[in-house]
Amino acid sequence: MAVNVYIPTPFRRATAGAPRVEVDAADMKELLDALESRYEGLRSLLRDAAGQVHHHVNLYVNGEEIGALQGTATRLKDGDEVSIIPALAGGVWLS
Amino acid sequence: MALLTDAELGAIRKHAEADYPAEACGVLLVRPGTVEERCLRACRNIQDELHAKDPGRFPRTARTAYYIAHEDLLDIGRREGEGFEVRVIYHSHVDAGAYFSETDRRNAMVDGVPAYPQTTYVVVSVAGGRVAEIRAHQFSAAAGEFVEVPFAVGHGAAQAERR
Repeated sequence: MAVNVYIPTPFRRATAGAPRVEVDAADMKELLDALESRYEGLRSLLRDAAGQVHHHVNLYVNGEEIGALQGTATRLKDGDEVSIIPALAGGVWLS
Repeated sequence: MALLTDAELGAIRKHAEADYPAEACGVLLVRPGTVEERCLRACRNIQDELHAKDPGRFPRTARTAYYIAHEDLLDIGRREGEGFEVRVIYHSHVDAGAYFSETDRRNAMVDGVPAYPQTTYVVVSVAGGRVAEIRAHQFSAAAGEFVEVPFAVGHGAAQAERR
């Protein structure tokens, strides 16, 4: 399944500046594996040592956050648009 | 070069006061060119929704934290693909100072590297519903951390978007 993946600005240092890449994958786990295999530098940006997607990394399939779908088991089909977008978040000091 | 126009700063102040006692958040997107294109986007803070859904992972409410909504993140990504840069990320602190907190610093980094090294983080302190103080912060490569920076305000209109 040829899927178009949007690479966010903060992650492009791992993709030689490419803002979009095409990946063949049947589901999101395969897609992450394929991305990390092609771009070594993406590995630590996307997932932790245990293989879990970092909390601050949001993954979307056709605009839908995968947490609202089937997580990394979410199936993909030809032409799907996957977006990787790190969270923008923060907050005050807590005493 | 002014970081914000007076109208943009006014819109940020208004947004921060309107969302009190929740933290407000948004971005200024700029597309460089002969005629610079600027777009101030007031974003939706979904911290309360995240807290209600998963208080273990998101122990804070919107009173002490912000998390920009997915639809805003996607749109920011789309705009970046069209040549816009994230020039400013702003948020408010409720009844607290306009400092750049440890949480702000941690979330502004990706794997030990600043996510947006050229971006200025503007923090608005709102006390009792009124803006008390505004400060700007940016990553300093020399210092290896975020430092407070002065910011200039120029004349100009705000091209604002509603959430």
